[in-house]
Amino acid sequence: MDEVVATAKYETPQVQTKEAPTFLQIVKKTARHILLILFSVITAFPFLWMLVSAIKTTDEIWKFPPSFWPAEPQWQNFIEAWNSAPFGLYMFNSLFTATAIVLFQIFSAAMMAYALTQFRFKGQKFLFASILAIYMLPAASTYVPSYVILSKLNMLDSYQGMIISNAVSVFGIFFIRQAFMQVPKEMVEAAKVDGASHWTILWKVLLPMTKSSFLTFSLISFVQMFNNYLWPSLILKSQDKYLITMGLRQFFIEGGAYGIKWPLVMAANVFAVVPLLLLFFVAQKWFIKGINDRGVKG
Amino acid sequence: MNALSLHNIDKYYENGAHAVKGLNLDINRGEFIVVVGPSGCGKSTTLRMIAGFEKVTNGEIKVNDKFVNDLEPMKRGMSMVFQSYALYPYMTVYENIAFPLKMRNMRKDEIKRKVEEAAEVVNVTPYLKRKPGQLSGGQRQRVALARAMVANTAICLMDEPLSNLDAALRTGMRREIKKLHQRLQNTIVYVTHDQVEAMTLGTRIVVMKDGMIQQIDTPQNIYEKPANSFVASFIGNPQMNICTASVIKEGKQVKLLFGGEDLTLPPQTADMLERQNYVNKDILIGFRATDVLYEEGFVAEVEHVELLGNEQHVKANWNGQQVSLQAPSSMPIDKAVSFSINLDKLHFFDSDTEERIC
Repeated sequence: MDEVVATAKYETPQVQTKEAPTFLQIVKKTARHILLILFSVITAFPFLWMLVSAIKTTDEIWKFPPSFWPAEPQWQNFIEAWNSAPFGLYMFNSLFTATAIVLFQIFSAAMMAYALTQFRFKGQKFLFASILAIYMLPAASTYVPSYVILSKLNMLDSYQGMIISNAVSVFGIFFIRQAFMQVPKEMVEAAKVDGASHWTILWKVLLPMTKSSFLTFSLISFVQMFNNYLWPSLILKSQDKYLITMGLRQFFIEGGAYGIKWPLVMAANVFAVVPLLLLFFVAQKWFIKGINDRGVKG
Repeated sequence: MNALSLHNIDKYYENGAHAVKGLNLDINRGEFIVVVGPSGCGKSTTLRMIAGFEKVTNGEIKVNDKFVNDLEPMKRGMSMVFQSYALYPYMTVYENIAFPLKMRNMRKDEIKRKVEEAAEVVNVTPYLKRKPGQLSGGQRQRVALARAMVANTAICLMDEPLSNLDAALRTGMRREIKKLHQRLQNTIVYVTHDQVEAMTLGTRIVVMKDGMIQQIDTPQNIYEKPANSFVASFIGNPQMNICTASVIKEGKQVKLLFGGEDLTLPPQTADMLERQNYVNKDILIGFRATDVLYEEGFVAEVEHVELLGNEQHVKANWNGQQVSLQAPSSMPIDKAVSFSINLDKLHFFDSDTEERIC
């Protein structure tokens, strides 16, 4: 390989000597970079502001003109915030319900997608169209019927209620169906002829063939569920069932005393996003791959 | 008892296409049946119906005299080799070959023994730990063969298994498949569009066109006694030359008249045509490129010559009709070629039905 490159260099020196960029090209490139930097800063600024505010004093937060870095970083804010509310429990509740929901959603989406792609039955197109139609519905429009159902099942204010009411993801069905459709049909046929049952084909052939889609969907869904606020706040009432999102809100009202203790609120926010940041760092390859592959927007 | 029987099979697709029309086929145990035909003739659809991937619209499929129309593919007890190999990319070669055995809940040590044995037969033992992505096309197809082989089913289906390989590999793999069949003695239904594969592999060949069977016979009979002009021109390379001729009777002699030339037919053929009332009628005659003698006789204008080492294929214009001739490469070919047709090797077809007369 090196040899080939060397030969190419020797034989075609003109490839190596780039023409100097024109003035217009420089301007375009600079403008592009300025725009990108601007948008990056706008996107990242609230996050950065949260980080630095967490180690400021209340006075420093309200100071005008504001300073970016505190005179003396207040690292103890984190400990104080953590101790002033049961954040550990909230975090556990969120992680536990989000994980359970994702597992249920993967299971239901895979089963449904299998039926939609591998079986031929009457009303199949109608069924898929209905699923898509439900996807178009605003989430809030399902709150009342879902609330009524949960209350009749006696599942309000419980983990089960939270998990079951989110156990099926329409987006997941659609996403996994698209992935299954990409699998060459010979793969499934080969498994069938070799004696594999539908169950085996789903989990031992289709799942490994579409692993990246399953991972991407799991990540997207996990983040959504971890950040979910409105629906859990409608069905969960006892403080020991609170998710981190609700816990933060509660802390803002009580411990944070409606913004009087901003540094503590900010510190609490910081450790609330830590699990998601960790997840993103571990799995960013899949995030980006999934979004690029299927044109999904969060 | 037939290993596999197809009776009056019809297949209509949802778009109304009539892919297979009234197909009847009985396959004996241990036979190597090759279904051959041009694209869209219904051969793959037939195979997919046997496998259970396509529903049969009408008719019945029986395996060992048991009706299997409604049986799911996994319950039909067949194995299959696909054109695209259909190996699982995330499994090693060993796991791929072991898959059908695992599905049968076989013991681990038994699986190991069988996989190693099959790998040995198709020469993939050194690659057992590799993934299919690290193998060449030929090696992948060997793995697919091994997977079908370990399943040890009475019926093995093959859907154009060699189409993705290059010419040299195809020849080698053809031999392997033939050897495997001789060794396992199972029933094979093999679909291809390649007539060379059909001729070299099949104990019987099924020629299909437009969803209908044109002929079922041994390779030799298909070649020597094609049932109609389609089979005649489809099997054999170069294609059989088919032209229209008139049967006339001059005195006691029955002659063929075409393009201003005439040929006196041997008494036996003449009798046959006369008995079947073809005198003073048009018929189709066919002769193969190899069944000509290069001597004084007909003269054709040479249009194109292809030299293939020890022989050459000549495309020539003979009375406005293109004919293919095969000549030794040592023979000098100029602008025109003189030839005569070996009358014993002439084929006669009805001009309306295109069916064989004699």
